[in-house]
Amino acid sequence: MTPLPTPVSEDDLHAYVDGLLPPARVAEVETWLAAHSDKAAEIALWQRQNEALTALFPPVAAETVPDRLKPRQLARRPRGLTLNWPQLAAAALVLLALGAGAGWALRTFERPSESDSLIASAVTAHSLYVKENRHAVEVVAADRDHLVSWLSNRVARPITPPDLAAEGFDLVGGRLLPGDYDADDNGPAAQLMYQNAANDRVTVYITAALPADGNAYQFVTRANLDAFYWSNDRITCTVVGSLPETEMKAVAKKIYTQLTWRPDGTESTRS
Amino acid sequence: MDFLDEIETCVPALRRYARALTRNADRADDLVQDCLERAIRKRGLFRPTGPVQAWLFRILVNLWRNSLRSERRRGEHVAYDALVVEPSIPAPQPGRLALGEMNRALDRLPDDQRETLLLVVLEGVSYEEAATILGIPIGTVMSRLSRARTALRTLTGIGDEPRLRTVK
Repeated sequence: MTPLPTPVSEDDLHAYVDGLLPPARVAEVETWLAAHSDKAAEIALWQRQNEALTALFPPVAAETVPDRLKPRQLARRPRGLTLNWPQLAAAALVLLALGAGAGWALRTFERPSESDSLIASAVTAHSLYVKENRHAVEVVAADRDHLVSWLSNRVARPITPPDLAAEGFDLVGGRLLPGDYDADDNGPAAQLMYQNAANDRVTVYITAALPADGNAYQFVTRANLDAFYWSNDRITCTVVGSLPETEMKAVAKKIYTQLTWRPDGTESTRS
Repeated sequence: MDFLDEIETCVPALRRYARALTRNADRADDLVQDCLERAIRKRGLFRPTGPVQAWLFRILVNLWRNSLRSERRRGEHVAYDALVVEPSIPAPQPGRLALGEMNRALDRLPDDQRETLLLVVLEGVSYEEAATILGIPIGTVMSRLSRARTALRTLTGIGDEPRLRTVK
């Protein structure tokens, strides 16, 4: 028997069964299987598993799509919670035109989005604690190991304070806050505080990811404070501060980069 | 192609996968509707740079995982409906797996293995795409597939069948 050019791996066998191999490789795998009957039996079983799954869940392309699954209809439907940005902008104009009274009445129909309420909490917490001197944080940066393990445990996500030395900011410390989001399982929030030589302070407000929020980005200005918000499948993060715009952006970007890298080196945020 | 049209072409694939995950046609459509609404709501805020289909699948999977989580917390049980065992092949021929048996076996797979196997088998996505959709490294896709196939083999009793028959 002639030896095979490339050894057949377990991955090749899966790809063979799933029809993901290039034709040339298919032939090689088949030759290999012919010589390995025990593996061939298992592969045949995998193929039968695939057939059974396909039979259990046949394609639905032939079925009529109900109206509620038609994107055009969904996009047209004026639901309070599903407004997109152009609609929101239009709604805002209408509210202005109607005046404050009518605006207030209509406002009760619109619940703030999950991320909006997180941003609001982050901003409130920022304004409350940046004024403090002795009680700005619960755990000071000198106690970093404790700070990291405590916050990571309570938020149930690994929280490593970003290093902002290059931007001139040192970690002051951190504290635990109640998560303000009204969903059941979002858990508490961690607030990290940084300070530069000019005593400007920046806070980073981190919670576990919102249910199914996926990746999102927002930049808002509230009460003279800038807030950068983003979320991925693991955390939400809001950076709050009142620095000049370019400085604020640099800090936010640095924090974003450091918090979105996973231990295995892959970036957790994808588009 | 317009964004909404693009989404529309993905609906059948989303429904199929959602049915396999939920094993309940109504619940599957609820899940797909949620996913579409979310996608439409986010399009201005978050523009996907990759293929729209992968992005939609990713939203769907996240929604499904969250609903499983909150269900477990509340201890709800959702009944399967009749949809599932409507065999589209006439009768179990020799060499085919019985569909009912497969259905029960699938039910007992760990969630992460089930979502991976179904995505690859039903939707025919590449392993790389599956990794993107599920938010896991490709090596994890492979190991979940491998574990799922081994587990199904045990659960459907195929590997053990001949031995069991000789017992009597």
